[in-house]
Amino acid sequence: MTEPLLSVRGVNRTFGSGPAAVHALRDISFDVEPGTMVALVGRSGSGKTTLLNVIGGLDRPDAGTVVVDGLDVTGLDEDGRSQLRRDKVSYVFQTFGLIPVLSAAENVGVPLRLARADPAERERRVNLLLDLVGLAGHAQQRPGELSGGQQQRVAIARALAASPRLLIADEPTGQLDAETGLAVMGLLRGVVESEGVTAVVATHDPVMMALADRVVRISDGRVDAC
Amino acid sequence: MTPLHWPSIRGRARADAGPLLLVALVVTVVALLAGATPPVLRSTSDEATRDAVRRAADDAAVRVEAEWPDDYGPNGGRVRAPLLADDVASLAHLAEGELEPSLRSALQPPVATVSSISMAVTDGSVQRRLQLEYLHSGDDGPAVTWIAGKAPGPSTPDESIEIPLNGAPWPMQIGLSEAEATVLGAKPGDRIPVQDDRRTPYDVRVSGIFRPVDPADPAWRLAPWLLQPAANRDGLGSTRFGGLLSDESLSDARLAFRSDQLRRSVRFDADPGTLTWESAQALASAVATLKGLSAVSAERDTSLKWATQLDSVLRDLRNQIATASAQAAVLLIAVLAGALLVVSLAADLLTRRRTPALTTARQRGAGLPTIAAELAVESTVVAVPAAALGLALAAVVTGSAALTWVVPFLVLAVAAGPAFGTLAAARATRDKRAPANRSARRWALRTVLLRRAAIDVAVVVLAIGALVALRQRGIGTAEDGDVGLPAAAPTLGALAAALLLVRLLPAGTGAALKLSLRSRRPLVLFAAARAAATASRLLPALAVTAAIALASFAITLHATTDRGLSDGAWQAVGADVQLTLGTEAAGSTAEIAQQVAAAPGVRHAVAARVVDSERFIADNTSIVARLVVVDTAALRQLRAGTPLAGLPDPGGLTTAVDGTVPALVRTSDDSLRPGTSFRLPLRTNTFTPMTAVGPAPAIGSGDDVVVVDRAAAAAAGLESAPNTVWATGPGAAAAIRATGADGRLTTRAEVLDERRTAPLTAGLVRLQLVAAGTLLALGLLGFALAAAAGAPQRWETLARLRTLGLRPRDAHRVAAGELLPVALVAAVSGPLLGALLSWLTVGPLALNVLTGQVAVPVTVVPWWTVEVVAVVALTVVLAAVVATESAVRKKRRLGDVLRVSS
Repeated sequence: MTEPLLSVRGVNRTFGSGPAAVHALRDISFDVEPGTMVALVGRSGSGKTTLLNVIGGLDRPDAGTVVVDGLDVTGLDEDGRSQLRRDKVSYVFQTFGLIPVLSAAENVGVPLRLARADPAERERRVNLLLDLVGLAGHAQQRPGELSGGQQQRVAIARALAASPRLLIADEPTGQLDAETGLAVMGLLRGVVESEGVTAVVATHDPVMMALADRVVRISDGRVDAC
Repeated sequence: MTPLHWPSIRGRARADAGPLLLVALVVTVVALLAGATPPVLRSTSDEATRDAVRRAADDAAVRVEAEWPDDYGPNGGRVRAPLLADDVASLAHLAEGELEPSLRSALQPPVATVSSISMAVTDGSVQRRLQLEYLHSGDDGPAVTWIAGKAPGPSTPDESIEIPLNGAPWPMQIGLSEAEATVLGAKPGDRIPVQDDRRTPYDVRVSGIFRPVDPADPAWRLAPWLLQPAANRDGLGSTRFGGLLSDESLSDARLAFRSDQLRRSVRFDADPGTLTWESAQALASAVATLKGLSAVSAERDTSLKWATQLDSVLRDLRNQIATASAQAAVLLIAVLAGALLVVSLAADLLTRRRTPALTTARQRGAGLPTIAAELAVESTVVAVPAAALGLALAAVVTGSAALTWVVPFLVLAVAAGPAFGTLAAARATRDKRAPANRSARRWALRTVLLRRAAIDVAVVVLAIGALVALRQRGIGTAEDGDVGLPAAAPTLGALAAALLLVRLLPAGTGAALKLSLRSRRPLVLFAAARAAATASRLLPALAVTAAIALASFAITLHATTDRGLSDGAWQAVGADVQLTLGTEAAGSTAEIAQQVAAAPGVRHAVAARVVDSERFIADNTSIVARLVVVDTAALRQLRAGTPLAGLPDPGGLTTAVDGTVPALVRTSDDSLRPGTSFRLPLRTNTFTPMTAVGPAPAIGSGDDVVVVDRAAAAAAGLESAPNTVWATGPGAAAAIRATGADGRLTTRAEVLDERRTAPLTAGLVRLQLVAAGTLLALGLLGFALAAAAGAPQRWETLARLRTLGLRPRDAHRVAAGELLPVALVAAVSGPLLGALLSWLTVGPLALNVLTGQVAVPVTVVPWWTVEVVAVVALTVVLAAVVATESAVRKKRRLGDVLRVSS
């Protein structure tokens, strides 16, 4: 049996204390196989984003473990988690999160700069990724000159730049119209296959769910179904 | 207008209590400063008035003289006037009666004096002189006790005797003080053999020895030699004794002397304690009227002749106070502008924090007037009590508080918050979409750029206009806030220059971004990207740069004033020490200079003849200038070792050619220039021709001076007996004192101390420092506020970079890099702008009125102080901001970035 790329075991996360305590995650456990795309589904406030934060090392669970590509995320210190996000995990945000004064190509190259990649290699990789997301002709345009869908494509290209093992996307089509959202979903599905990356995508979108290899439903901080 | 929503007002105020308290603090401090300055200026003016009159001493005294009426009798002789003392007393009453009430209340009771010429005592002793004095003050003062003999009485029982004009010396009785009688070895009944300079003998007899009831009686100050022998009053080595005349013996003295040998006068000393600046104004006018009366009645020999320099003292003072007030206004305007910029930054910060809430309120139907009113309520509740607190503190500190500056500042401070908030709410809900076609978009962009350029041009034109007005018209005579455009020139100049610099900031950060793209260091790129993204924000860089520039301007003014005071003291004295001898003692000046030069601790000593208001004629025009006759080589050598301007050596200065004396010249109106021929009229109805051969430095407090070499002057027959000694060196003052010369000794250190501690100067120097400190603090506060306003966007960007693997410590560096351009621009260009503004305005600001210099003081930019303070202070604040933000960021979960909406 293939070793899971992501293994979540008994994760709990509570915000606040006493009567006002909010139990965001309660004993969450699931595995994700490498090269698969998992849709994380649930109502607003169900704990999807908290779970993505814990998986990516942006937040620490109160209990439980998260293992990404054999690395125990919950045991890492701040620098270790930064390293994790640089090498193994990348994010795609609902609001794109591009640097406005940099061109599309420069935005895509940011993770490679952080990884101290060789400039020539960086350029090659950036061109490849822009080509992959269909924006080869928009490399020098700034985010403000691109449509929402194009910006999200740049964000996906940036997320893939450092060749992560795990791609985490939180509502990646939340700010896009239906048609553009569909295109972005297709792109995500495509890069999972072409780049061999594993993706965990929080979404409400039934189309996205349909495109996923597996759907994990969360309700009130608990996994309802896998 | 929809009704105000009070819960929203309370909620917003609670949520933003920190920034609101900061605004309140700024308003309080500014209200304290602006409220306290006018009363402090007023009280300082009062103090300066009293101080100036006190220091003027003799010059501020009002003196009145009247010639004696003829005393010829029916037989051609002179008739004794037995009631002459009553006449003198009535002269005092008459003079007092002519004084306006405002003037009378500012003067002390009159002292009537009758003084004889100084006579040589011919008892075989060396250089003993006797001068007879009659003093009358109050009802019967100054009182004395006769400890031997009796008070001087009449010389004859015939009180109205007529004596021939050329008869024997008429006897007169005098009293001697205990001390003087001992020195003279005189006792009641003795005669003191005396004669005048024409060897005419006088019959002076001692009737008694007295002891003053109150030696501190002000009347004795007019003739101190009545109580103690006075050295060197009549030349080096001389000793003057005084003989006291009584009411009875005064009539005999009148007969014993010719009319021109016995002067009667009344003196009113000024009473500085009763003076205020306001009362001094009325006083100056009353004095001018009095002096005018003297001119009108000049034909009547026995009429009252008023003489005083009080009006001149007050005129100079008025000039100084007006200048100081205007300079204070310049500094206050700078502080108020800096504070307004900071309040605007606080309003900007509050608006950024509230934009979502304001947008929601607007979307829920709140009208813009309602939002503006709600924000105005909050702003008023914060600013008005803060201003009241500042004014109350000002009242506690100074006794009163002025609203002149506070009210306009308060109005603008109250309006800032509502203006920013309402504008933000209007923008957020404005249905203004970008035009679909490119040309329309381009046109819209051009419109925005044009509007911005128009504002920039307006500010720059206003600043240039103000600077031109200041340079052409000078600072003027602004008082208590009645200021015009010139007083705002430095502030407008700083704002306009900072605006232009800030407009260049995006280009600078853009260039830095391009360079950073080539860098292999990702942090440099991220910092440059953040800096470029925020460079278009005008207000932060403008506020910080302008505040630092104005702080530098204030500190430069302070350094320039300080240096000017020092230079002014050098200029006024002309050396470390100046000794000015009276006419009687002038004959020994050269000897004194030689003694001083030989004393230890003296570098140079030069004797010169200085005539303050000599009249010259050039091209049929009369020119009044100070004439200095001196050994020019010695003076050049003396000045060479001091900060004073050197004495030029054009050659041929020591030789008069064909009776024409070569001279160095300096006149404020350039009426005497090198190459000009002019003349010095002499009393003998002849004149000495002169030729200006070079420029002279300023010597003394006046601007017009003619310097000639003593050898050339002597060769041309010009009077060259020196009356002034200049000496340099640490032992110069002691050396001159050791000579015992009884002249006016002026030391540079005392002049400097006197000028530094003069109320107006000291007050203005304090204000310069307070303004510099306040502006620096405002600049730093502005920097912190600007950083706080951009913190949410910075946190979001850094958080996103953290999700890409940026380490926390690297995030600090990126944050510091983002804030660096504003700090750099402010730290580098602020002091430069301050120096430039100082250089442009020091002359028109008339600092020399306070420093006592003839010319405009040299602008002194304390580069090290200004740059080090600016750089260190901004670096510390930058580090503090980054550290604080980092601490705040730690409290926020990085995961929140996923929930943030753009």
